[in-house]
Amino acid sequence: MNLPLSALLTTPIELTGIPRFVLMLPLCLSIAVVYKATRLSSLRDLWKASLVLWVTIVLGMCAVGVGLWAAFSIMV
Amino acid sequence: MFRAPMAGFLAWLVPGLGHIYVGQRARGWVCLVTITATFWTGVAIGGVQTTVDPHERTLWFLAQLCTGGNAGAAYALHCAADPARSADGGSTIAAHWLSTDVAIHYTGVAGLLNLLVILDALARADRPTTISRIRRRRPRGVT
Repeated sequence: MNLPLSALLTTPIELTGIPRFVLMLPLCLSIAVVYKATRLSSLRDLWKASLVLWVTIVLGMCAVGVGLWAAFSIMV
Repeated sequence: MFRAPMAGFLAWLVPGLGHIYVGQRARGWVCLVTITATFWTGVAIGGVQTTVDPHERTLWFLAQLCTGGNAGAAYALHCAADPARSADGGSTIAAHWLSTDVAIHYTGVAGLLNLLVILDALARADRPTTISRIRRRRPRGVT
């Protein structure tokens, strides 16, 4: 398959199953980096602070997901 | 006088440019690379036809518009792309709803992150620069 470069932006990617959850990780990382870039007074610790925030967001979302799944399983 | 409005406008036009304008170069480059990469990753996932669509997804398009030049370029691409044919010769470019979902979240979040960056650039433009602060602290004649 030899597609032109413009095809990268016009042809959608087929996403099913696990990849759509994996794509949550870079999105959370960009949120963490931009948030920390605006909040930190010095950018020396940007990557460390972003990594900590990223792990916190991902673990928090996983915890909420597991909690909701458990509540759903108990009630239904 | 026009420092803050100019910083806000530049931050909207190109993510991070407002920070570069007020002298926060490293911060500006981090925002520029991160927000631009997030936006175009979203467009690449869902395809420009379904991701940037002001008629079908008006509210998401408003969020995408916060990325300024990126959203403008993507909308121009949306208008230029032939909706009837895909790049590999297929008859349709409609994305799977999961791809569309992920793509819209990427581009929308990029826009909202740039809104945060615009507000931060406005706040930093109002503060005195580091050089003027040093000058104010030192009495005249002291080197």
